[in-house]
Amino acid sequence: MSWVQVAISRSSEDIFDEDADEIYIAQKEWNSAMKKRLKEGYRDGIEAGKELALQEGFNQGYRQGAELMVTCGQFRGTLNALLSWCHLNGHDSALSKINHLLDVVGKREDDVLKYLNSTQEQSHLGDILDFVQDMDLSDTAPAGTECDAVKAGKYEHIGSSGKTSCRNNGKDDSLQSECSKAICTDPEKPTLAWVKEQTVWLVEQLGLSLDMLHHVQQLGY
Amino acid sequence: MLSGGGTHPARSRGLGFRGAMAAAASSADMFDDIVMAEERFHGEGYQEGYAEGSHIGVVEGRRYGSLHGAKIGSEVGCYLGFALTWQCLLHKCTDEKNSKKTKVLDSLIGMIRKFPYEDPTYDKLQEDLEKIRGKFKQVCSILNIQSDFRISTERSSLTF
Repeated sequence: MSWVQVAISRSSEDIFDEDADEIYIAQKEWNSAMKKRLKEGYRDGIEAGKELALQEGFNQGYRQGAELMVTCGQFRGTLNALLSWCHLNGHDSALSKINHLLDVVGKREDDVLKYLNSTQEQSHLGDILDFVQDMDLSDTAPAGTECDAVKAGKYEHIGSSGKTSCRNNGKDDSLQSECSKAICTDPEKPTLAWVKEQTVWLVEQLGLSLDMLHHVQQLGY
Repeated sequence: MLSGGGTHPARSRGLGFRGAMAAAASSADMFDDIVMAEERFHGEGYQEGYAEGSHIGVVEGRRYGSLHGAKIGSEVGCYLGFALTWQCLLHKCTDEKNSKKTKVLDSLIGMIRKFPYEDPTYDKLQEDLEKIRGKFKQVCSILNIQSDFRISTERSSLTF
Protein backbone atom coordinates (compact mmCIF):
# COMPACT_ATOMS: atom_id res chain seq x y z
CA MET A 1 0.00 0.00 0.00
CA SER A 2 2.46 2.58 -1.17
CA TRP A 3 -0.10 5.34 -1.22
CA VAL A 4 -0.53 4.99 2.48
CA GLN A 5 3.11 5.79 3.08
CA VAL A 6 2.89 8.67 0.73
CA ALA A 7 -0.10 9.97 2.47
CA ILE A 8 1.57 9.74 5.82
CA SER A 9 4.81 11.32 4.80
CA ARG A 10 3.36 14.02 2.61
CA SER A 11 0.01 14.49 4.10
CA SER A 12 0.49 18.18 4.83
CA GLU A 13 0.93 18.85 1.15
CA ASP A 14 -1.64 18.73 -1.52
CA ILE A 15 -1.29 15.21 -2.71
CA PHE A 16 -3.15 16.08 -5.86
CA ASP A 17 -0.30 18.28 -6.90
CA GLU A 18 1.01 16.21 -9.74
CA ASP A 19 4.19 18.27 -10.05
CA ALA A 20 5.69 16.58 -7.06
CA ASP A 21 7.69 14.06 -9.03
CA GLU A 22 8.78 11.51 -6.49
CA ILE A 23 5.28 10.74 -5.38
CA TYR A 24 3.63 11.08 -8.72
CA ILE A 25 2.98 7.41 -9.31
CA ALA A 26 1.90 6.80 -5.77
CA GLN A 27 -0.53 9.69 -6.03
CA LYS A 28 -1.94 8.28 -9.17
CA GLU A 29 -2.48 5.03 -7.41
CA TRP A 30 -4.14 6.77 -4.54
CA ASN A 31 -6.30 8.82 -6.83
CA SER A 32 -7.42 5.88 -8.86
CA ALA A 33 -8.06 3.81 -5.75
CA MET A 34 -10.23 6.59 -4.34
CA LYS A 35 -11.95 7.19 -7.63
CA LYS A 36 -12.73 3.53 -7.79
CA ARG A 37 -14.21 3.62 -4.32
CA LEU A 38 -16.20 6.69 -5.25
CA LYS A 39 -17.55 5.01 -8.34
CA GLU A 40 -18.37 1.84 -6.49
CA GLY A 41 -20.17 3.82 -3.89
CA TYR A 42 -22.05 5.71 -6.54
CA ARG A 43 -23.10 2.51 -8.23
CA ASP A 44 -24.24 0.94 -4.98
CA GLY A 45 -26.07 4.12 -4.09
CA ILE A 46 -27.89 4.29 -7.42
CA GLU A 47 -29.09 0.73 -7.06
CA ALA A 48 -30.26 1.23 -3.49
CA GLY A 49 -31.97 4.54 -4.21
CA LYS A 50 -33.63 3.30 -7.33
CA GLU A 51 -34.94 0.14 -5.81
CA LEU A 52 -36.62 1.97 -3.01
CA ALA A 53 -38.00 4.78 -5.16
CA LEU A 54 -39.39 2.65 -7.96
CA GLN A 55 -42.31 1.38 -5.95
CA GLU A 56 -43.01 4.80 -4.53
CA GLY A 57 -43.00 6.32 -8.01
CA PHE A 58 -45.14 3.53 -9.34
CA ASN A 59 -47.75 4.11 -6.67
CA GLN A 60 -47.85 7.85 -7.29
CA GLY A 61 -48.07 7.39 -11.04
CA TYR A 62 -50.68 4.70 -10.79
CA ARG A 63 -53.07 6.94 -8.92
CA GLN A 64 -52.56 9.81 -11.30
CA GLY A 65 -53.01 7.63 -14.34
CA ALA A 66 -56.10 5.95 -12.99
CA GLU A 67 -57.73 9.21 -11.98
CA LEU A 68 -56.93 10.87 -15.28
CA MET A 69 -58.25 8.06 -17.38
CA VAL A 70 -61.35 6.99 -15.56
CA THR A 71 -63.37 9.85 -17.04
CA CYS A 72 -62.38 8.97 -20.59
CA GLY A 73 -63.38 5.42 -19.80
CA GLN A 74 -66.77 6.51 -18.54
CA PHE A 75 -67.41 8.44 -21.71
CA ARG A 76 -66.41 5.47 -23.79
CA GLY A 77 -68.62 3.12 -21.81
CA THR A 78 -71.55 5.50 -22.01
CA LEU A 79 -71.18 5.94 -25.74
CA ASN A 80 -70.77 2.23 -26.25
CA ALA A 81 -73.95 1.58 -24.32
CA LEU A 82 -75.78 4.14 -26.44
CA LEU A 83 -74.33 2.57 -29.55
CA SER A 84 -75.51 -0.89 -28.63
CA TRP A 85 -78.91 0.43 -27.59
CA CYS A 86 -79.34 2.31 -30.90
CA HIS A 87 -78.21 -0.76 -32.75
CA LEU A 88 -80.70 -3.01 -31.00
CA ASN A 89 -83.52 -0.51 -31.33
CA GLY A 90 -83.08 0.39 -34.95
CA HIS A 91 -81.79 3.93 -34.51
CA ASP A 92 -79.20 3.28 -37.15
CA SER A 93 -78.89 6.89 -38.18
CA ALA A 94 -77.30 7.74 -34.83
CA LEU A 95 -74.61 5.11 -35.14
CA SER A 96 -72.12 7.09 -37.19
CA LYS A 97 -72.44 10.04 -34.87
CA ILE A 98 -71.77 7.85 -31.83
CA ASN A 99 -68.88 6.20 -33.58
CA HIS A 100 -67.42 9.58 -34.30
CA LEU A 101 -67.71 10.57 -30.65
CA LEU A 102 -66.05 7.29 -29.71
CA ASP A 103 -63.20 8.16 -32.03
CA VAL A 104 -62.79 11.51 -30.33
CA VAL A 105 -62.71 9.84 -26.92
CA GLY A 106 -60.26 7.25 -28.24
CA LYS A 107 -57.94 9.99 -29.48
CA ARG A 108 -58.25 11.70 -26.15
CA GLU A 109 -57.21 8.51 -24.42
CA ASP A 110 -54.26 8.15 -26.75
CA ASP A 111 -53.25 11.72 -25.94
CA VAL A 112 -53.41 11.06 -22.22
CA LEU A 113 -51.33 7.92 -22.62
CA LYS A 114 -48.77 9.73 -24.75
CA TYR A 115 -48.62 12.47 -22.19
CA LEU A 116 -48.10 10.04 -19.33
CA ASN A 117 -45.47 8.15 -21.27
CA SER A 118 -43.52 11.19 -22.35
CA THR A 119 -43.41 13.37 -19.27
CA GLN A 120 -40.62 11.61 -17.50
CA GLU A 121 -39.67 14.69 -15.58
CA GLN A 122 -43.12 15.53 -14.37
CA SER A 123 -42.59 15.62 -10.69
CA HIS A 124 -45.23 18.07 -9.69
CA LEU A 125 -48.88 17.52 -9.38
CA GLY A 126 -49.25 20.95 -10.96
CA ASP A 127 -48.28 19.57 -14.33
CA ILE A 128 -50.97 16.98 -14.09
CA LEU A 129 -53.51 19.54 -13.02
CA ASP A 130 -52.60 21.76 -15.96
CA PHE A 131 -53.14 18.85 -18.20
CA VAL A 132 -56.46 18.04 -16.65
CA GLN A 133 -57.44 21.62 -17.18
CA ASP A 134 -56.66 21.19 -20.83
CA MET A 135 -59.27 18.52 -20.91
CA ASP A 136 -61.47 20.49 -18.61
CA LEU A 137 -65.04 19.44 -18.74
CA SER A 138 -66.55 22.65 -17.56
CA ASP A 139 -65.10 24.50 -20.49
CA THR A 140 -67.37 25.09 -23.45
CA ALA A 141 -64.58 23.95 -25.51
CA PRO A 142 -63.56 24.30 -29.08
CA ALA A 143 -65.01 21.58 -31.06
CA GLY A 144 -64.62 19.10 -33.78
CA THR A 145 -64.93 19.29 -37.45
CA GLU A 146 -68.28 17.69 -37.64
CA CYS A 147 -70.62 20.58 -38.11
CA ASP A 148 -72.39 18.76 -40.89
CA ALA A 149 -73.03 15.65 -38.82
CA VAL A 150 -74.92 17.67 -36.26
CA LYS A 151 -76.99 19.70 -38.62
CA ALA A 152 -80.24 20.59 -37.07
CA GLY A 153 -82.97 18.15 -37.76
CA LYS A 154 -80.80 15.28 -38.76
CA TYR A 155 -82.10 13.15 -35.94
CA GLU A 156 -85.48 14.70 -35.62
CA HIS A 157 -87.26 11.53 -36.63
CA ILE A 158 -85.55 9.73 -33.80
CA GLY A 159 -86.74 12.26 -31.31
CA SER A 160 -90.32 12.03 -32.44
CA SER A 161 -90.36 8.25 -32.51
CA GLY A 162 -88.95 8.03 -29.00
CA LYS A 163 -91.42 6.10 -26.88
CA THR A 164 -90.92 7.96 -23.67
CA SER A 165 -89.83 11.40 -24.55
CA CYS A 166 -89.25 13.25 -21.33
CA ARG A 167 -87.58 16.23 -22.78
CA ASN A 168 -88.41 19.73 -22.19
CA ASN A 169 -88.82 21.74 -25.34
CA GLY A 170 -87.66 25.01 -23.94
CA LYS A 171 -84.47 23.42 -22.78
CA ASP A 172 -84.07 21.80 -26.11
CA ASP A 173 -83.68 25.07 -27.91
CA SER A 174 -81.00 26.35 -25.65
CA LEU A 175 -79.15 23.07 -25.89
CA GLN A 176 -79.39 23.17 -29.61
CA SER A 177 -77.95 26.63 -29.83
CA GLU A 178 -75.31 25.94 -27.22
CA CYS A 179 -74.39 22.87 -29.13
CA SER A 180 -74.00 24.62 -32.44
CA LYS A 181 -72.11 27.40 -30.76
CA ALA A 182 -69.74 24.82 -29.39
CA ILE A 183 -69.12 22.99 -32.60
CA CYS A 184 -68.80 26.02 -34.81
CA THR A 185 -66.25 27.90 -32.76
CA ASP A 186 -62.96 27.49 -34.40
CA PRO A 187 -61.60 24.12 -33.41
CA GLU A 188 -58.19 22.92 -32.55
CA LYS A 189 -59.14 19.66 -31.03
CA PRO A 190 -62.43 18.30 -29.79
CA THR A 191 -62.39 18.02 -26.04
CA LEU A 192 -64.30 15.88 -23.61
CA ALA A 193 -66.46 18.92 -22.89
CA TRP A 194 -67.45 18.90 -26.51
CA VAL A 195 -68.09 15.16 -26.45
CA LYS A 196 -70.28 15.70 -23.46
CA GLU A 197 -72.34 18.37 -25.15
CA GLN A 198 -72.72 16.22 -28.18
CA THR A 199 -73.80 13.30 -26.05
CA VAL A 200 -76.33 15.41 -24.20
CA TRP A 201 -77.66 16.58 -27.52
CA LEU A 202 -77.85 13.02 -28.76
CA VAL A 203 -79.68 11.87 -25.67
CA GLU A 204 -82.18 14.65 -26.25
CA GLN A 205 -82.61 13.74 -29.86
CA LEU A 206 -83.14 10.09 -29.03
CA GLY A 207 -85.82 11.09 -26.58
CA LEU A 208 -84.18 9.29 -23.70
CA SER A 209 -85.09 9.75 -20.09
CA LEU A 210 -84.01 12.54 -17.77
CA ASP A 211 -82.09 9.93 -15.82
CA MET A 212 -80.00 9.40 -18.87
CA LEU A 213 -79.46 13.10 -19.32
CA HIS A 214 -78.49 13.40 -15.70
CA HIS A 215 -76.02 10.56 -16.05
CA VAL A 216 -74.29 12.20 -19.00
CA GLN A 217 -74.17 15.53 -17.25
CA GLN A 218 -72.53 13.90 -14.25
CA LEU A 219 -69.69 12.49 -16.31
CA GLY A 220 -66.35 13.80 -15.19
CA TYR A 221 -67.50 15.04 -11.81
CA MET B 1 -32.64 15.75 -5.24
CA LEU B 2 -34.29 13.60 -2.74
CA SER B 3 -33.24 13.84 0.81
CA GLY B 4 -33.47 11.36 3.61
CA GLY B 5 -32.44 7.75 3.55
CA GLY B 6 -29.24 6.55 2.02
CA THR B 7 -27.06 7.08 5.03
CA HIS B 8 -23.67 5.57 4.84
CA PRO B 9 -21.60 4.72 7.90
CA ALA B 10 -18.42 6.38 6.66
CA ARG B 11 -20.33 9.49 5.85
CA SER B 12 -20.87 10.46 9.44
CA ARG B 13 -17.80 12.68 9.69
CA GLY B 14 -18.63 14.40 6.48
CA LEU B 15 -15.08 14.87 5.28
CA GLY B 16 -14.14 15.45 1.69
CA PHE B 17 -11.00 14.27 0.02
CA ARG B 18 -8.70 17.01 1.20
CA GLY B 19 -10.45 17.20 4.49
CA ALA B 20 -9.84 13.53 4.97
CA MET B 21 -6.18 14.00 4.26
CA ALA B 22 -5.86 16.93 6.59
CA ALA B 23 -7.52 14.96 9.32
CA ALA B 24 -5.16 12.09 8.67
CA ALA B 25 -2.18 14.37 9.01
CA SER B 26 -3.20 15.92 12.25
CA SER B 27 -4.59 13.03 14.19
CA ALA B 28 -2.79 10.32 16.00
CA ASP B 29 -4.66 7.47 14.45
CA MET B 30 -3.55 8.63 11.06
CA PHE B 31 -3.29 5.23 9.60
CA ASP B 32 -6.80 4.29 10.55
CA ASP B 33 -8.08 7.51 9.11
CA ILE B 34 -6.46 6.85 5.80
CA VAL B 35 -7.93 3.42 5.66
CA MET B 36 -11.22 4.99 6.58
CA ALA B 37 -10.81 7.35 3.67
CA GLU B 38 -11.63 4.50 1.36
CA GLU B 39 -14.86 4.05 3.20
CA ARG B 40 -15.51 7.76 3.09
CA PHE B 41 -15.10 7.89 -0.63
CA HIS B 42 -17.37 4.97 -1.02
CA GLY B 43 -19.79 6.77 1.25
CA GLU B 44 -19.65 9.96 -0.71
CA GLY B 45 -20.26 8.14 -3.93
CA TYR B 46 -23.03 6.19 -2.32
CA GLN B 47 -24.72 9.30 -1.09
CA GLU B 48 -24.62 10.94 -4.47
CA GLY B 49 -25.67 7.75 -6.22
CA TYR B 50 -28.49 7.26 -3.79
CA ALA B 51 -29.95 10.67 -4.52
CA GLU B 52 -29.60 10.15 -8.24
CA GLY B 53 -31.02 6.63 -8.02
CA SER B 54 -33.98 7.83 -6.02
CA HIS B 55 -34.74 10.40 -8.66
CA ILE B 56 -34.40 7.93 -11.50
CA GLY B 57 -36.49 5.40 -9.62
CA VAL B 58 -39.32 7.79 -8.91
CA VAL B 59 -39.45 9.03 -12.47
CA GLU B 60 -39.29 5.58 -13.96
CA GLY B 61 -41.72 4.11 -11.48
CA ARG B 62 -44.13 6.93 -12.02
CA ARG B 63 -44.10 6.43 -15.72
CA TYR B 64 -44.82 2.72 -15.50
CA GLY B 65 -47.33 3.29 -12.76
CA SER B 66 -49.23 5.99 -14.60
CA LEU B 67 -49.58 3.87 -17.72
CA HIS B 68 -50.75 0.93 -15.70
CA GLY B 69 -53.16 3.05 -13.69
CA ALA B 70 -54.45 4.68 -16.86
CA LYS B 71 -55.19 1.30 -18.36
CA ILE B 72 -57.13 0.11 -15.35
CA GLY B 73 -58.86 3.46 -14.87
CA SER B 74 -59.98 3.44 -18.46
CA GLU B 75 -61.26 -0.10 -18.25
CA VAL B 76 -63.11 0.33 -14.99
CA GLY B 77 -64.49 3.70 -16.07
CA CYS B 78 -65.75 2.15 -19.26
CA TYR B 79 -67.59 -0.62 -17.43
CA LEU B 80 -69.13 1.89 -15.10
CA GLY B 81 -70.24 4.26 -17.85
CA PHE B 82 -71.64 1.36 -19.79
CA ALA B 83 -73.52 -0.12 -16.86
CA LEU B 84 -74.94 3.20 -15.64
CA THR B 85 -76.12 4.05 -19.13
CA TRP B 86 -77.84 0.73 -19.60
CA GLN B 87 -79.39 1.08 -16.20
CA CYS B 88 -80.95 4.35 -17.37
CA LEU B 89 -81.99 2.84 -20.67
CA LEU B 90 -83.77 -0.04 -18.99
CA HIS B 91 -85.24 2.03 -16.25
CA LYS B 92 -88.42 2.80 -18.10
CA CYS B 93 -89.30 -0.83 -18.71
CA THR B 94 -90.22 -2.86 -15.68
CA ASP B 95 -91.20 -6.24 -17.04
CA GLU B 96 -89.67 -9.36 -15.64
CA LYS B 97 -87.11 -9.81 -18.37
CA ASN B 98 -85.77 -6.35 -17.77
CA SER B 99 -85.75 -6.67 -14.05
CA LYS B 100 -83.33 -9.55 -14.40
CA LYS B 101 -81.11 -7.39 -16.60
CA THR B 102 -81.36 -4.54 -14.16
CA LYS B 103 -80.38 -6.82 -11.34
CA VAL B 104 -77.20 -7.94 -13.06
CA LEU B 105 -76.40 -4.33 -13.96
CA ASP B 106 -76.95 -3.23 -10.38
CA SER B 107 -74.63 -5.95 -9.23
CA LEU B 108 -71.91 -4.84 -11.65
CA ILE B 109 -72.31 -1.21 -10.61
CA GLY B 110 -72.10 -2.20 -6.97
CA MET B 111 -68.91 -4.14 -7.58
CA ILE B 112 -67.30 -1.22 -9.40
CA ARG B 113 -68.35 1.31 -6.79
CA LYS B 114 -66.74 -0.78 -4.09
CA PHE B 115 -63.58 -1.35 -6.09
CA PRO B 116 -60.67 0.93 -5.10
CA TYR B 117 -59.24 0.78 -8.62
CA GLU B 118 -57.07 3.86 -8.01
CA ASP B 119 -55.27 2.32 -5.06
CA PRO B 120 -52.18 0.40 -6.18
CA THR B 121 -51.66 -0.95 -2.70
CA TYR B 122 -55.02 -2.69 -2.60
CA ASP B 123 -54.05 -6.32 -2.40
CA LYS B 124 -57.02 -7.72 -4.27
CA LEU B 125 -56.80 -5.31 -7.18
CA GLN B 126 -56.28 -7.98 -9.80
CA GLU B 127 -58.67 -10.41 -8.20
CA ASP B 128 -61.51 -7.89 -8.02
CA LEU B 129 -60.82 -6.70 -11.53
CA GLU B 130 -61.20 -10.24 -12.82
CA LYS B 131 -64.52 -10.56 -11.05
CA ILE B 132 -65.69 -7.27 -12.55
CA ARG B 133 -64.63 -8.43 -16.00
CA GLY B 134 -66.60 -11.61 -15.52
CA LYS B 135 -69.65 -9.69 -14.40
CA PHE B 136 -69.33 -7.36 -17.35
CA LYS B 137 -69.31 -10.30 -19.73
CA GLN B 138 -72.42 -11.58 -18.03
CA VAL B 139 -74.05 -8.18 -18.50
CA CYS B 140 -73.18 -8.14 -22.19
CA SER B 141 -74.53 -11.62 -22.64
CA ILE B 142 -77.81 -10.90 -20.88
CA LEU B 143 -78.21 -7.68 -22.89
CA ASN B 144 -77.47 -9.66 -26.03
CA ILE B 145 -74.46 -7.52 -26.88
CA GLN B 146 -71.11 -8.81 -28.00
CA SER B 147 -68.43 -7.27 -25.86
CA ASP B 148 -66.50 -6.29 -28.97
CA PHE B 149 -69.57 -5.22 -30.86
CA ARG B 150 -68.45 -1.92 -32.18
CA ILE B 151 -69.83 -1.58 -35.65
CA SER B 152 -67.72 -0.99 -38.73
CA THR B 153 -64.60 0.30 -37.06
CA GLU B 154 -61.25 -1.19 -36.34
CA ARG B 155 -61.31 -0.40 -32.63
CA SER B 156 -62.92 -3.03 -30.47
CA SER B 157 -63.75 -0.70 -27.69
CA LEU B 158 -64.94 -3.01 -25.03
CA THR B 159 -62.20 -5.55 -25.09
CA PHE B 160 -59.23 -5.10 -22.84
